[in-house]
Formats: sequence, structure tokens, C-alpha cells
Amino acid sequence: MTTKIAALAMAGAMSLAFSVPALAEGSLAIYAWADSISPEMVTKFEKETGIKVTVDAFSSNEDLLTKLQAGSSGYDIVTPSQHFVKIMIDSGLLEDFGASSMAAYSQVLPDWQKPWWDATGNHSIPLAFGNAGYTVNRDLYKGPVDSWKTYFEPPAELRGKIASLAQPDEVIPAAENYLGIKYCSEDPQEMKRVLDLLLAQKPFVAAYSSDNIENRIGSGEVAAHFWWDGNTMRLRRNDKANVEYAMPKEGLVGWLDSYVVPKGAANIENAKKFIDFMTQIDNATAQYNYYGHSSPVKIDESKALYNKENAPELFPTVPVKMGQACSPAAQELVTKVWTQLLQ
Amino acid sequence: MKAPTKTPDWNVLGLLPAHLIMLLTLIIPIGIIIVVSFSTRGPYGGFEYVFTTAPYKQLLFNEGWTGELEFNPQYLIVVARTLVLSAVTTSICLLLSFPVAYFIALQRPAIKVLLIYLVTLPFWVSMIVRVYSWIIILGKDGVVEKTLRGLGLVDNMDSLLFGNTAMLLGLVYSYIPLMILPIFASIEKLDPALIEASHDLYGNRLTTLRRVILPLTRPGMIAGAILVFVPSLGAVLEPTLLGGGKTMMMGNLIQLQFGGARNWPLGAAIAIVLMAAVMVFLIFQGLRSMRTEGLERAA
Repeated sequence: MTTKIAALAMAGAMSLAFSVPALAEGSLAIYAWADSISPEMVTKFEKETGIKVTVDAFSSNEDLLTKLQAGSSGYDIVTPSQHFVKIMIDSGLLEDFGASSMAAYSQVLPDWQKPWWDATGNHSIPLAFGNAGYTVNRDLYKGPVDSWKTYFEPPAELRGKIASLAQPDEVIPAAENYLGIKYCSEDPQEMKRVLDLLLAQKPFVAAYSSDNIENRIGSGEVAAHFWWDGNTMRLRRNDKANVEYAMPKEGLVGWLDSYVVPKGAANIENAKKFIDFMTQIDNATAQYNYYGHSSPVKIDESKALYNKENAPELFPTVPVKMGQACSPAAQELVTKVWTQLLQ
Repeated sequence: MKAPTKTPDWNVLGLLPAHLIMLLTLIIPIGIIIVVSFSTRGPYGGFEYVFTTAPYKQLLFNEGWTGELEFNPQYLIVVARTLVLSAVTTSICLLLSFPVAYFIALQRPAIKVLLIYLVTLPFWVSMIVRVYSWIIILGKDGVVEKTLRGLGLVDNMDSLLFGNTAMLLGLVYSYIPLMILPIFASIEKLDPALIEASHDLYGNRLTTLRRVILPLTRPGMIAGAILVFVPSLGAVLEPTLLGGGKTMMMGNLIQLQFGGARNWPLGAAIAIVLMAAVMVFLIFQGLRSMRTEGLERAA
């Protein structure tokens, strides 16, 4: 929320010239998704290296992109999702920090080495991956959750009890999966079908909000919420909420967040030290246990808290289609759908 | 006799820090927004220094689903909705604040200080916390629902959250202190002798209120109205957290343009239009109060 306000304040005042000054040696500034980096590991890193680490939180890829585009952000590590890594590399916003020759790189699982968003493998080291789908509160809804149909064309008991996100970034790809349309379509007629689907769903939606989701779905304020795999798992395990993560046969929307270094970062060597540290097998396991999203680097299975039995959310049984970096023309259509949905 | 020598105007220098702050924090940023609003959007956000009026045209004309340019009032609808919502918020605040301010002004000095302190108390807490607390009050199994159920008034109620009522409630709650304080200040300055005089001249209570109290406290009401109306225009928290974000407000629209839409120039253009609307409103108000003051002085 605070980042939203920050983005707004920026939109309003554009006081971009007065950014954070470059930090002194022996420090490291991280800008990551809220609660995504294990504080224990940060403390351990500080103790081992004497480097002072600060961690700030952002709440959307768009906020992060805007911040980097605005000029020197003052951060040494940021953690965007795959499609935004691609956009940032293409826009020259990231350092080539030789990731593929780092110790960390040898820890990356083969599936995630040199992916399409970082073809040279030199700009990013993966941090966590997962997917976006929807979660139902099983106290309120007993029906099937094997299709996006339940979410987009809800049965009577879910009407008025559905919540969506405030941004189109993942909701529209999910709708595209349901309709069998390719991500980032540049065909206005296809996107019109997406809009029609979302408009038909709108009367049954209680809120479009990306904040406070745990509370809304856990307390039963709504019965179904667009959400993520690991978050659902944590709410179910830690808060004993009766929630279930749906496995829609049309496909979940995949994401993978990576450590990247913004252009002109002041402490690149410290950033590399931190990334190497976080991918060491014991630390990566502790990070996995803390964050509760799947790990794209090797972990010690014997010490991992989550497995197929106790955390089925993390092991999807349906296709997962990774979110894409849309062309400006396709992005224009996405915005048009969202603006007309909420106008 | 010696002519009075013109002393150098030190006032200008004395005010220099204030002018500098205004320049750095107000004039230059607005200049940047204006520049961005006439620039060309970058493919992935940002902007390029290529002059164009396209963002302003985009406010009114968009490519339709079939591809041709058509008049599309979607942004105007958002602007109009925001203006109406802010006007309603301001009116409710005004109606509620006047009696409250009047009541406070009539108390003994010690009580008065305490009450004013209480009015300003919410400002000590972060805005986000205050809006979230309304989620707890209005939400499922919240304070309101539990109380009503405890009294046996309802069995099963729909959520009070997520709707225009919850959003308005949040806005009025957030901004009402900004209305109470200036009205209180102008009521305090009101000379009780004038009210007595009105009664002496056979003015009844209603006439006294209408012809004496309201005109004399109008500056306070106008100040309060501006203080409430302007921030309401840019409100983002209440529409999303309490209103459920089902319809866009100006703040959300601008945010979307700088974020997901990656269209900074359009976002800047909307911000400029918003600012221009507020300025026209304020200038109009200013001229009107100047004219009435002038009339009073002439009379």
C-alpha cells in the first residue's frame, strides 16, 4: 500500500530528481516483494560479511518498473518477475553482472537456466517461482474447483462473494487461459471476448483489490479470491484457514521472481555476495521454508518443510503457463480491457 | 526638508527561502508534469522528448474495438464520478461540521481546548491504519455486525464493506477534521454582540442564523470546503480498500497509467486536467469572495 502511495505521489509530483543517494561501501540495499526474503538469512549474511543490509518492499512489478525508469533508485538488488526482467533487460535498466559464471548459477535447476527472459543468463539468478490462480474458502463453497469457469462464471453460491486483483497483470492471462486465447494477443476481437467475460463476471465481484487478501479470504468476507499458490499454502498451514487452491484444467498463470541488479547500482560486488549466499544449499532451504514458494535453486529435501503431501499447492497437477512480456500494442489492449472494465 | 530615501526592499530577500521552496517543490515539479504530458510515451513506460498533443487527444478519442478512432468518454466519466464523489463528501462534511464546530465554540475555554485536541487526534495515526480500522468495523464479524447481532436486530447480514456507502463513510471520516477546524476558527471570531443586535432587531433564530451567522462564518466554510474537496479528488485508499475498487476514481486512473498501462504522458495529462479543474474552481471561489467582500465594504 505504501508503495502505491509512493507511486501516486510520484505521479503527482514527480520529485524524481531527489532520489536516494548512492550508499557507502559495506552496505546493500534490497527492494523485494513484501516478506519475500527471510529476515533470518539477512541477519546471518550481515554477521558473516559485516555488510549492512536494508530491505524495502514493493507490491507490484509495475511499481518497481516505474521506479527503475525514474532513474537511480538507490537499490543494489531488486526482484522482478520474469516478464518484467525481459522488459528491464530490453530497456537497458539492468546490469550484466556475469550471473552465469557465479557460484550461484551452478545451484540453479536446469529448467531455469538461460530462460527466454534472460537468454544469456547473465542478468538474473532466480529466487522463487509459483503461479497465480484462485483460492476458495471451503467453509463457504463446497463445489468443484477444477476449472476457471467456477471463478469467471460463478455458480449462485459464489455470486457477490468473489474478489479479484487491482491490476490486470495476472487476471487477464487467467481469463485468456479460460477462453483459449494466447497471452499478449494483439487481436482486438480476442481481447473484446476477454472484456466481455470480465464484464459478465463484474456484477458478482465484491472487490478488485490486491491488498489484505489473507484476511478477506481467510475470514470469509469473500468465498473465492484470485491469489497465489504459496500464499494460500501459508494461510492454510499457519492460520489453519479452511481454504483450497484451485487447479483449473485450463492452466494456471506462472511466474518466477529473480535477483537482478539495477543499472548503476553502487554495491554490485555486495549484491553478488548476497546472491551467492542465498543460493547456498542450506540458506536456500531456509529461504524456501520461510517464503513458502517453490525454489528454482537446489535445496536440501530432507530439511525442506513442504512436500507434495503437506503442500499440494506447490505441486500443481495442471499446466502452468508462464506470463509473457507483452508488446506495446498488446499491452495497450490489456489496458483498454481493464479501463473499460472499471470505467 | 529631506525627501524620504527609499529603503531597499529587504522583504524580498527575507522571503527568499519561501520562494525557493515553492520553486523547488511546486513550480518545477508541475513543470515536469506538463513536459511529460506533451511527450511521447516509451514502449515500456517512461517517455521520450518528442513533442505531441496525443495524450490530451487520448483523453477524448480512443481506438474502438474495430480499430477506428472514436469519441470515448471513459476518462471523462471517471473525472465526473470523482468530482461528484468529492462534492458529496464536501457537502456531508459541511452539514456535520457546522453544528459540531458551533458546539465546540460555545464551551468553556478548558473544554474547548480538549475538544479541539480530540478533533485533531486522528491525525496522529497513519491514514492507512485509520482506513484499515474501518475494514475491521464494517467487515464480516466486524464491530457493527457483532453489535447488531448481539442486540438481536439481524441474523445474517450482507457485508457493509465494498460499496459507495462504505467509501463515502471513509472519505467523510478522513477529511472532516479539515472542515471542523476552519469553521470553528471563524465561529470563534464571531462577535456575540452581533447576534444580540439581530435579536434586538426582532430577528428570530432562523433569521439570525441565515442573515448574521452564516454570512460571517462563510470564509471558514469556504476554507474547509477547499481543504476537503481537493484531497478527496485524489483519494485512492478509500475507493480501493472500502469501496472495493469496482469503479475507478481519478487517483486510481492516474496510477494505472503510470503503472500497468505504461503510459506516463496520459497519466500526466490526466493529472494536469485534474489540477486545472481544481484551479478554475479555486479562482472562481476567490473571485466570488473578493466580490462579496468588495460589496460589503461599499455598502
